[in-house]
Amino acid sequence: MQPEPAAAVAEGWVAPTWEQVVRDHSARVYRLAYRLSGNQQDAEDLTQETFVRVFRSLADFSPGTFEGWLHRITTNLFLDMVRRRQRIRFDALPEDTERLPGSSPSPEQVYADTHLDPQIQAALDALSPEFRVAVVLCDIEGLTYEEISATLGIKLGTVRSRIHRGRVQLREALAHLAPGRAPLAEEVR
Amino acid sequence: MNGIPESHLAQEAIAALVDGELSGGAAGRAARHLSGCVQCRMAVAAQREAKAALQRDIDLAVPGDLLSRLKAIPFTTDVPGSGGLGTLSAGVDGLTLSGRSGSWAIPLAPAEPPARPDSGGRWLRRGMTGALAGIGLGVAVLAVILPADDAASTGPVAGAVRDADSGERTDIVPPVVRTLTVGSTSSLPAGGTP
Repeated sequence: MQPEPAAAVAEGWVAPTWEQVVRDHSARVYRLAYRLSGNQQDAEDLTQETFVRVFRSLADFSPGTFEGWLHRITTNLFLDMVRRRQRIRFDALPEDTERLPGSSPSPEQVYADTHLDPQIQAALDALSPEFRVAVVLCDIEGLTYEEISATLGIKLGTVRSRIHRGRVQLREALAHLAPGRAPLAEEVR
Repeated sequence: MNGIPESHLAQEAIAALVDGELSGGAAGRAARHLSGCVQCRMAVAAQREAKAALQRDIDLAVPGDLLSRLKAIPFTTDVPGSGGLGTLSAGVDGLTLSGRSGSWAIPLAPAEPPARPDSGGRWLRRGMTGALAGIGLGVAVLAVILPADDAASTGPVAGAVRDADSGERTDIVPPVVRTLTVGSTSSLPAGGTP
C-alpha cells in the first residue's frame, strides 16, 4: 500500500541523480541568492558556486539536512562576497580590477526580472548584510529562529535582535523610497 | 492583581511575538501589555508590515542558461568526489593555501630546491642568498607597510627561514640572512635530490 518514495526512505536512502538535485533545489537557492545580493549577476554566481560546493561534498551529505545545508552554503558565500568587496574597497588596490562591485540596476530592470516589488528589493538592499540575511531567511524562506541560528552560527538572542532591527530598517527604507506608501499611524485592532 | 507596572516589550520580544516564537507564558504577558500600550502595538504593527511586504514574494524563474550550467557541474568541475579533495588538502597543505594568499607558498620554496651541490655551489649560494634576502626584505617591508594585518602572514615565513637554518637562531634582518645561507649550504649534500 506504500507509495514508492516512502518505501525507498524506509529501506534506506537512495541518492538522487545530480539532475534531480538541481531540479529540486535550484529555484530556492537562486531566489535566496537573488534576495540577498539584489542583482541577477551575483545571484547566478552565488547559485553556481553553491552547487559546485554541493557537488564536491555530495559524498558527505546525510539525508534530511539538504535544505539547511543549501541555506548555510548560500548565505555564507554571500557574506564572504560582501566582506571581500568591503576589503577591496577599503584597501583601494588600484590594479585589482578582477571584481567590480555590481552596479545597482534600475527599478524597472529589477522588476522585469524578479517580480518582487522593486521598492522592496531596493529596501532589502539598503539593509546591512547581516540584518538582510536574518530577515530574508525568516520572512522569505520561512525558517524558524532556531533554524536561522543554526544556519548562521549565531545565538538565538542575536537572531531575534537582527530580525527586529532589520525589519525596522526595512520599513524606514520603504518609507524613504515611497513616502506615501506605508502609513504607520493606524493601530492594530 | 496587575499591580506592578510592566515595562515596554523588549524589541526582541516584539519580533518574536510577530513570528510566533514566544513561549506561551511570555506570549500571554506580551498580549496583556499590548492591550494597554499603544506604543508597543505600533511597534508590533510595524514588524508585521515589514514581514508582510516580504511575504508577497513569489518564486523566481531560474535563468535557462544558469540551469544548464548547474546541470553540467559534474562535467565542468575539476576535483570531483571527496576522496581526491581529501588527499589534496592533507598532502600538499601549503599548496592549497598558496592559491588564496601568496604568503603560504613561500614556506615550501626553501625545502624544494635542493639542486646538485657539485655543479654550481657558488651560483646556488648566491641564488639562495638572493632569494632569502628577498624574503627577508619582503618581510621587513611588509612589516613596515602593514602593521597589524600582516602579522599572520609573516609568521609562516619567519618559521620557514628558521627551519632552513637549523643550527642558528637568529632574527630575520637582511645582514643575518647572509650568515644563514652558510648553514643551508652545509646541509645540502644530505638531502641532495635532482
